[in-house]
Amino acid sequence: MVTFTQSAYNAREKETAEKISHIKVSNKEMLCHVKPVSCESVIYKRFVSSMTTLTRQDLNFGQVVADILCEFLEVAIHLILYVREVYPTGIFQKRKKYNVPVQMSCHPELNQYIQDTLHCIKPLIEKNDAEKVVVVIMDKEHHPVERFVFEISQPPLLSVSSDALLSHVEQLLRAFILKISVCDAILDNNPPGCTFTMLVHTREAATRNMEKIQVIKDFPWIVADEQEVQMREPRLIPLKTMTSDIVKMQLYVEERAQKMP
Amino acid sequence: MSRGGWRKRASEDDGWGGRGGYMAAKVCKLEEQFRHDAPKQQQHEGISSSIFSGVAIYVNGYTNPTADELRKLMMVHGGQYHMYYSRSKTTHIIASNLPNSKIKELKGEKVVRPEWITDSIKAGRLLSYLQYQLYSRQKSLNFNNVCKLEEPTPGPSNIPKELETRVNGTAKKLPDIMKNVTVKLNGWNGLDNLEEEEEFELNELEPISPVHYWNAFKHSQNPASIANGHAHSSNGALKPLEQTLHPGRTSIGKSPCSLLSRKDVNKELGEMRDYGVQQYSNQNADTHLNLSCPADPPPLHSNIKVNGAHHISVQGPSPSKSTYEPCHKQAAPMSPPSAHPRTTDSSFISEFYSHSRLHHISTWKCEFTDFVNNLQRQSNGFFPGKDKLKRLKNGRVCQPSSDTGNTGPHKHQTCIMHVDMDCFFVSVGIRDKPDLKGKPIAVTSNRGGGRTALRPGTNIQLEMQYYKRRYMKNKGDETKVPGKGDVSASETPDAGLNGVDLDLAALSMAEIASCSYEARQAGIKNGMFFGQAKKLCPSLQSVPYDFNAYKEVALTMYETLASYTHEIEAVSCDEALLDVTDILTDLGLTPDCIANAVRAEIKEKTKCTASVGMASNILLARMATRKAKPDGQCYLKPEEIDDFIRDQLVTSLPGVGKTMGYKLGIMGVRTCGDLQQLSMAKLQKEFGPKTGQTLYRFCRGLDDRPVKTDRQRKSVSAEINYGIRFTQASEAEGFLLDLSDEIQRRLEAAGVRGRRLTLKVMVRKLGAPLEPAKFGGHGICDSLTRTVNLEQATDNSRIICREALKLFHSLKLNVSDVRGVGMQINHLIPVQRRNTVTSPHVAQPYSVKDLLMAKRSKRLSSVPAETCESTSPDKSLLLRNSLCSAPFKQQLTEPTPGTSKSEPVVRYNGGLHTPSKSRANLSIEVPSPSQIDHSVLEALPADIKQQVEQVYLSKSEETPNGFVMDAQPVDTIILQIPEQLGQNSNNGIIVALPEFSQVDPEVFAALPLELQEELKAAYGQRQKTSEGNNNQQLALVTRNPLLHLKQPIVVKTKKRSKKKNVSSPVKKVESPLKVKLLHSPMKNSAIHTRSPQKLIPDFLKREEAAADKLKLETGPSTSGLSTVSQVQGTKASLPQGPNLAGAFELTDIKMLLKEWVTTISDPMEEDILQVVRYCTELIEDKDLEKLDLVIKYMKRLMQQSVDSVWSMAFDFILDNIQVVIQQMYGSTLKIT
Repeated sequence: MVTFTQSAYNAREKETAEKISHIKVSNKEMLCHVKPVSCESVIYKRFVSSMTTLTRQDLNFGQVVADILCEFLEVAIHLILYVREVYPTGIFQKRKKYNVPVQMSCHPELNQYIQDTLHCIKPLIEKNDAEKVVVVIMDKEHHPVERFVFEISQPPLLSVSSDALLSHVEQLLRAFILKISVCDAILDNNPPGCTFTMLVHTREAATRNMEKIQVIKDFPWIVADEQEVQMREPRLIPLKTMTSDIVKMQLYVEERAQKMP
Repeated sequence: MSRGGWRKRASEDDGWGGRGGYMAAKVCKLEEQFRHDAPKQQQHEGISSSIFSGVAIYVNGYTNPTADELRKLMMVHGGQYHMYYSRSKTTHIIASNLPNSKIKELKGEKVVRPEWITDSIKAGRLLSYLQYQLYSRQKSLNFNNVCKLEEPTPGPSNIPKELETRVNGTAKKLPDIMKNVTVKLNGWNGLDNLEEEEEFELNELEPISPVHYWNAFKHSQNPASIANGHAHSSNGALKPLEQTLHPGRTSIGKSPCSLLSRKDVNKELGEMRDYGVQQYSNQNADTHLNLSCPADPPPLHSNIKVNGAHHISVQGPSPSKSTYEPCHKQAAPMSPPSAHPRTTDSSFISEFYSHSRLHHISTWKCEFTDFVNNLQRQSNGFFPGKDKLKRLKNGRVCQPSSDTGNTGPHKHQTCIMHVDMDCFFVSVGIRDKPDLKGKPIAVTSNRGGGRTALRPGTNIQLEMQYYKRRYMKNKGDETKVPGKGDVSASETPDAGLNGVDLDLAALSMAEIASCSYEARQAGIKNGMFFGQAKKLCPSLQSVPYDFNAYKEVALTMYETLASYTHEIEAVSCDEALLDVTDILTDLGLTPDCIANAVRAEIKEKTKCTASVGMASNILLARMATRKAKPDGQCYLKPEEIDDFIRDQLVTSLPGVGKTMGYKLGIMGVRTCGDLQQLSMAKLQKEFGPKTGQTLYRFCRGLDDRPVKTDRQRKSVSAEINYGIRFTQASEAEGFLLDLSDEIQRRLEAAGVRGRRLTLKVMVRKLGAPLEPAKFGGHGICDSLTRTVNLEQATDNSRIICREALKLFHSLKLNVSDVRGVGMQINHLIPVQRRNTVTSPHVAQPYSVKDLLMAKRSKRLSSVPAETCESTSPDKSLLLRNSLCSAPFKQQLTEPTPGTSKSEPVVRYNGGLHTPSKSRANLSIEVPSPSQIDHSVLEALPADIKQQVEQVYLSKSEETPNGFVMDAQPVDTIILQIPEQLGQNSNNGIIVALPEFSQVDPEVFAALPLELQEELKAAYGQRQKTSEGNNNQQLALVTRNPLLHLKQPIVVKTKKRSKKKNVSSPVKKVESPLKVKLLHSPMKNSAIHTRSPQKLIPDFLKREEAAADKLKLETGPSTSGLSTVSQVQGTKASLPQGPNLAGAFELTDIKMLLKEWVTTISDPMEEDILQVVRYCTELIEDKDLEKLDLVIKYMKRLMQQSVDSVWSMAFDFILDNIQVVIQQMYGSTLKIT
């Protein structure tokens, strides 16, 4: 059962510009007899469509970048959940993305949750307002044990000229996926009964816009608790960095030194 | 929960839901009320206007007029008043003062003083809010106080007020005529201005533009000056207008009261105004209005934009202003009377430099350095001065009583002597004029009584204000430093301003280059304007420059010094450092004795006095000189040093300027003694590792800088900030071209090439007057600098210019605001001339090895290689040297005794890349015609295409066997041949192929058929040639170069330790990091920055680098990406990211680190810090992955190393990195 926690609207205005919003998902027991949803084809279609947008004259680079990144994040989140064994392996199915095998959840609610999350993040990325997208894996006590941090920054001048570039980006993203799929070799095992949540670190004043936009109703973002952000003795493990014309992104994991309670 | 303010979500059920919440409803209601009240209020007041339509204000805090009054005003004049601030609706925030937190919060909003509203109403139109801003977002200074003198600003702005009153006093002499004239003219113009308004306007003008009045006044007396000021060559569409204007304007000057001619002028002005209204550029008008006088009603002012290039601002009918044209950018500064060259003239720069005399002096230092170097080279070991000293000593024992005890320690103690002429320019200037001795003298270009005619268009006061403010700021800083107040106000250049009345405007702006001690006592300082100095000290006499004499005296001084020792470091034309240790040891004299002799000799020969300071190091010697001045000498005995340095002010330390002095002052540090109390850690924390360390040492009188007799130039630069007035972008471009030529000349003269270009542009500060007070000067400016790294060291003006233009365009400046342009070339590499090749029999034995090394290093570190076609093997050998990275080279040269002469060759061979050579290379470095994608060729810019075609034409008969390159990078794999000696001339292949045995058969098989063919052909050809070659080559190829590295290390370390014993700090072994810095050009800097000729080779190099990667990258970075993607990665994105000594790629970095760790047994702190810096840059660049890999690699390398020093070095590096990561990410790196 996936339950969305009722999030309270918190208007506490902080002095610091950086606001952290998050959504919480907790899982008790995942049942796995669910028909697979063909997320892959959806994503792939979107990817293709973004490529065609590029060739058009009046393209909106922000949107294209957001499309590409959100798509990638979706794949990455699924894969992280699989690799870090947050959900039983049974709900995942093997698929092909970026020309490499990836694991995708087939649990409709989880998928919906991830898609909704990304839907909210997308406008932020479009405006280059999202600084970090974080997948936090928390233990039973809701203390984070691992954080997968996607640090995103877009170059001030977006210029995409050739089609070759997109395949180039695809290759870079593939490298991320591959790195994620082997990251369990570097990371310590997680304690049983973990949940995950998503955090978005926004740049200045973006929260204000987020409130306005509220892309999906009943899917509000709240300022994250200190407790969920802070981690005891974090250790940083860089995974991958990419630099391309459209986006600069790096992925690193922050891991709690003592994972087992 | 309903804490969402009035943006609260509508779904909340509190009764206001339907209206968007309580606050929203309230705001709505208030707005309604306001709208409702507005007509009433208008009726009540009997006036209404729509000045503020579209303006919505929000009043924050106390204002004058009060918020309520402002509300009424807004009602009456069509504005909006918001009781509650709304970021989206409120356009302006009105406030008189804001707390800091608010300022931060409202960052980016328009916060305006209430005067904006009142003034706008007075003016009857909406004034630009810019100059009413409460604080400005940019760091640009507010010129408000100057522009808006009538404003009752409290506090620090009493100075302008003071000025104002004074100005008023003088200006009042004029008002009678003025008033009449203004009124009449206005009437004539048919502008229905009321009498009162004119009064008002005049009142406004009085304080604001006293200079204008002054102008008018002066002009009326001095018609000639007016004519001069406005006589300018007109061009383009402006011509007719201007010509018609001229007679009118001159007539103003001649007869200020003849209204008739004035009418004519105004008629014309009116015409122009009409014209201007059509092309009224709002922004221009606004800013301009702000500058000149904010309270003028709009019709009186209009900017005419003709051709988009010329601005003429015609300013209302008031006579004071019709004579003043601030916008003749082109005309005013370059006005004919003095026949100054224009910046647009092609010869401007050479003219400038041939006339700029001060420029010459600055170049003398280089000349004298060369002079000393020459002396050293020609030295026959005979020093007449030294001999004289010897005789002196033999003749009469110098100070025998004190001498006997002191000579002992001197024998081992180094002694540095600092010789400095006493106020050089002055003493040279008056050496033939004994009557001037002992009088206050200043050397300056001004010959008169310190006054000059004022040029129109300047706003001297504004500038004075600025300088003063800047000074006050500094002074404020200084006074906070306890005990620094010894600089009294009267001693400062600008202090005279307070006591100076309006005359100030006409004072000479010639700067004082040097003044005598007597003048200094009167408070005059070097760099002061002569006019002010004259005020301070009426008896001040000026002496003109005498450059020949300076040179003569300086030369004499250096000759004198050189007669004692050749250990001379030229500091400037009148200042030198000598290492007299040897003399002391040889002759057993006391330092005082030598100093006496030197000073006496200088005085005798030059008739000028010099002061001498001596101590055990440069720092102390210089400080001693300060104590010795004037005409004295001072020797700091080792035992006195501690006491001496303790009392010195920190600001007397080199490198401690105002900022650092201020910082230290805050920390409670005034003297070096105070500074000694601080720990090294604290200093390093505060000022960075290097500066902190330097401070720590300096304040203890420690300084290990050697007297550098052959100091290498660090940069070559040329800068002009005088007389720069561009009107068109093309002029600026032409100017940059000329400046590049000048740089080229200088680079050639210095025999160096540089790899880093810095462009500095001075831009008129926002709000500064268009025309500075100093004729042709730059006025108040912002300096912008941009730097670019060139791919290769160059001295080619075309390359420099192209880069400079790119930088210039990237600044996106308005060319008319440019006031100065400078270029600087850094990262210099000496040009090695061919004739310094070591004789063949020395070179030969090493040639093969050398070559192979070169190959190897080329392959591993992918230093972009210049493959050179040459007929003689010797030359090619030398050229190949350039491919070799330094550690190898040193290793090769050092083991052989007696090859010390070959060292310079090794060291400087980076300079061998001459453009001409690379051009010659071009013929070989293109793909074979069959490989060319014609669509690509077509898409190339015309000039490049042409060149490519030409190359093919010339190549077609040369060889059918071209280099392999596919236009599609996907298939491009470039392989290298490790040895190629002598085959260049008959073989078209330039890319080195690896041993055939090294070629991966799979890769080979995967290649397209064509490629395979070509490769086979290439190998076939190579075999033929290599058969003819020495067999030795092949034997050596397979050997690991690291084997060679081992042996020389011992030699090197020995050498070093020896050096250390002699305590000569000159580093003999250069660490690979530094050498790389010199030799490896940045590969990844933008490809398009290169000249067309180089485009292709460059591309190839990139490909090579990628291919290298394929072969060598075995580290954990291989992440499943194909090489192809990496090739594309390097191609698609060309980042100017962090680099370690010029290396970007991981493989290069690894190579570099490996070289470093394996070749050097004792890492230098400098290098470690460089690695730390690189890692920090990586963190900042958010490239943690690379950082991780680099650290892991270092860990492997360094912890394997036998020396525990390396482990320690690694720990140090890691600690530093962890600290940075902790700061950035709040966590530390996990090291497995």
